[in-house]
Amino acid sequence: MQLTTNRARFGLPGTLALHLRLVAGWHILLSVVGATAVAYLWLANGGMVLWLKGISTAVLLMLTIASVLAVPALLRRQHRGRTLSLLVNYLGFVFALIALLHYAGVFIGIDALANTFGRGVLFFSVILAGYLVHGVADRFRDYPQTFRRLQRTGNWVMLAGLVAFLLAVGLIPGLLAFLARLGEPRNALLFGAVLLFGFVLWLMWRHEMASLLGEKSRDSEMLNGYLFLSPNLLGFLLFFAGPLLLSLYVSFTDSDAFGRQNWIGLQNYGEIFNLSVAPLQSPTQLAGEVLDVRVYDELTRFTLFGRSYVLGAQDKLFWIALRNTVMFVLTAVPLSVVPALLLAAVLNSQVPGMKVFRTIYFLPSIAAVVGVALIWRWLYNSTVGWINYFIASIVTLINQLAGAEVLTDPQIGWLSDTKVALFAVVIIAAWQWMGFNTVLYLAGLQNIPKSLYEAATVDGANSLTQFFRITIPLLAPTTFFVVSTTTIQAMQIFDQVYVLTNPPGGPGTSTTTIVLYLYTQGFRNFRQGYASSIAWVLFLLIFGLTIFQFQRQRSAAAE
Amino acid sequence: MFASQRLRKWLRYSAIYLTLTFFALVMLFPFLVMLFTSFKQVSDTFIFPPRLLPRVPVSAEVAGFEQPLPLYRVEFEGDTSEFVLLERSVRVGYFAPPANLETTYLRELDQAPATGETAVVNGVEQPLYRVELDGAFVPMVLLNRTAMARFANPEDLSQTVLAPLRTTPPVERIAFTLDNYRSVTELHAMDRSLTNTALVTIGVVLGQLTTSILGGYAFARLQFPGRDRLFVIYLGTIMVPFVVLITPLYQLMVMIGWVDRLASLIIPWIFTAYGTFLMRQFFLSVPKEIEEAAIIDGASRLQILWCIFIPASTPALASLTTFTFLYAWNSFFWPLVIINTGNENNRVLTLALSVLGGRAADSPNLVLAGAAIAVLPPVLIYVLGQRFFVESATSSGVKG
Repeated sequence: MQLTTNRARFGLPGTLALHLRLVAGWHILLSVVGATAVAYLWLANGGMVLWLKGISTAVLLMLTIASVLAVPALLRRQHRGRTLSLLVNYLGFVFALIALLHYAGVFIGIDALANTFGRGVLFFSVILAGYLVHGVADRFRDYPQTFRRLQRTGNWVMLAGLVAFLLAVGLIPGLLAFLARLGEPRNALLFGAVLLFGFVLWLMWRHEMASLLGEKSRDSEMLNGYLFLSPNLLGFLLFFAGPLLLSLYVSFTDSDAFGRQNWIGLQNYGEIFNLSVAPLQSPTQLAGEVLDVRVYDELTRFTLFGRSYVLGAQDKLFWIALRNTVMFVLTAVPLSVVPALLLAAVLNSQVPGMKVFRTIYFLPSIAAVVGVALIWRWLYNSTVGWINYFIASIVTLINQLAGAEVLTDPQIGWLSDTKVALFAVVIIAAWQWMGFNTVLYLAGLQNIPKSLYEAATVDGANSLTQFFRITIPLLAPTTFFVVSTTTIQAMQIFDQVYVLTNPPGGPGTSTTTIVLYLYTQGFRNFRQGYASSIAWVLFLLIFGLTIFQFQRQRSAAAE
Repeated sequence: MFASQRLRKWLRYSAIYLTLTFFALVMLFPFLVMLFTSFKQVSDTFIFPPRLLPRVPVSAEVAGFEQPLPLYRVEFEGDTSEFVLLERSVRVGYFAPPANLETTYLRELDQAPATGETAVVNGVEQPLYRVELDGAFVPMVLLNRTAMARFANPEDLSQTVLAPLRTTPPVERIAFTLDNYRSVTELHAMDRSLTNTALVTIGVVLGQLTTSILGGYAFARLQFPGRDRLFVIYLGTIMVPFVVLITPLYQLMVMIGWVDRLASLIIPWIFTAYGTFLMRQFFLSVPKEIEEAAIIDGASRLQILWCIFIPASTPALASLTTFTFLYAWNSFFWPLVIINTGNENNRVLTLALSVLGGRAADSPNLVLAGAAIAVLPPVLIYVLGQRFFVESATSSGVKG
């Protein structure tokens, strides 16, 4: 430490000092370029969307300012200068690299890879075989020679498999195409930028430079921290945080996804929540006589204190979708949680073979919802489906036992009857979620100390009392987690409905859920602004529900 | 006393196993239906009552016929015999003597020529036919005509029976056909969808592991300003439902030209708050002493991460891998939105399956073969490494 400060004071390393001046010059150049770019962005009349223009300006300005600040700090050999320089050059490097990959067609090239990927799959098994050989080597740790030979063989097999795989999927033509694209002026410029940023980055990152500028361990940890986090953070900002904010913005516009995006304020939310209640002369009076039918559709009628009212909504479908979703949540959540708790309690009784049952119960939650929905669509077939066959068999059995026609076969049209279609979806969801919840409950149950039950048995409590007095209260945190995650999942039900019903949401509007309605608005009618506002309403609903459950769980725990 | 205790124990066990087995059947049955139906021929699917195992009709070689003839179970001289189908549609009629309309006789129309005479039955004048009855010819009236199939004993073609084809059960044997798998891969390009899904899944899993490990390590072990605030933001976003992001993400993809491209299924999904959170929680439990010793030895942070943290966190990595694998393999909503404007080559399995479900709605054997292709790979992997799946389920909440 002492030595480095001395060297820095006497300015011993001549090349390093030169490098430092070069980097300072580079930052002056970058500041000029950045400022010019910002000016160009606002003066030239490009067709950029406003928010994108704003974000680009903010990023460019930030980098320019950092660049400007870096210059004096670097010349005064303050470590702050290195930090700023590293920040600017790292971001510049990443942006230039991504832009290069983008314009040289690497991301689009994934499609070409998918085209040839099938040919390479076979060589994947070679890689796997090599990995297995490598793994087997661990068993021969006591025989160093065999161990090493096996490990080396495994490595070579893996390498050979990888090379064969890369050749099979067309690495060489892909590389050639990439190199050819590199020759285009824009790409060559970007490639130069990547090299320059990379070079300066390397200059500044080096130990020598760090010592020269007096890096402390705190600085090193900060730089490492942000470096490690950066892939995650940049992706998170670009594909999560950014879109999240953008979504809020879009929900206040009339966006159609293809360029139109005018600010319309709260109009979307106004349309969703535009309800109107009007008193009726008689319960059968036409709604059109009391409601403005140009705006409102009749949603429902109700009677209060002997007077009839009609409720109209501007967007009737949203409210129907909301009702369906709420109905779905209120049935699917209990149906997938209560049996899960009972099953877990039974499974927890330590009978042999419990693991086999647990494996089976978990199976539905692994399967793709689309596949599951198609299987159930076939089971639900009203003429030759298994479910109606089981119902018919049970009805016949009961009638035979009773010796009379006590029941008639209902012949349920599961997917064509507006009264049961939603329940058909509920059954699938409950079937698919139950096993997952069982596993969660089982994990919770295994955390309850056995001694509690033993003590209760000594006190003479029977197993039913134990279940209600020990198991359920102690499982409250698990229950909170299970119920809230299942609720969140249920509020967003989409896949099952989309695949199961034809047209999606049918028959009529009986299975239209909020997310399905959002999809229709956003990607069928391309009212993306409106779809965004529906999404935010749903988000707030989910958020409110979770907070509500959390509060209840906490107050219950406090008692 | 002792006996009653044993009885109680036995009763308890049977109750437990009955419950468990019942639910196990409920859970397994749809998968069995999927599997067996995917091996069926289409003619075998629309049959009531439904049957689980796939069956094919049996035929027999008959002298004088080039093709083998299908066998049916018919009533012949009081016994049920297996006869071949000779003719699908023979014009037959129910005849009765005018004096006694209650007893009817089934005869082929060709073998009962009109006599030219008539008889009055129920006040209506009707033509009479020459109907053979026990070697004699009796004039009868025609009550009803219909069509029936002619079945014959394959050994002795002169023994024939007339019976309606619809209600005659064919002779069948259990046989599994792979044709459905062949036609969904060849005609509906499910093989391409399978490799697409595999590629996307591999990309997402590898990418997510990389960013989560790096980010998790930074959050767990490195001190930098703003770390804790950033972490809280990360945590908060786990709750945000995906649908909130769908419109802006779509617009973003339109802007960079990734609509219909596989890149849109991979790149945006390799950065997750959840994976980062999971890895951070695990890395926190790795003892600090080893790391400090390594730093004193001059190891770089990357070396420490690679040589100490990654080997120590195999369970967490396996959990994250299974979780991400299932998520990527089964995702449907986003592919539906982004790969739905016509680029059939880039369809992933779930999307191809949903299209198949619409197109081949009347051949469940095809649809369920497609479903099997989508559903079975995760199931197989699950059977091999189920411990990790169960751990990924429990680590998602109870511990966190």
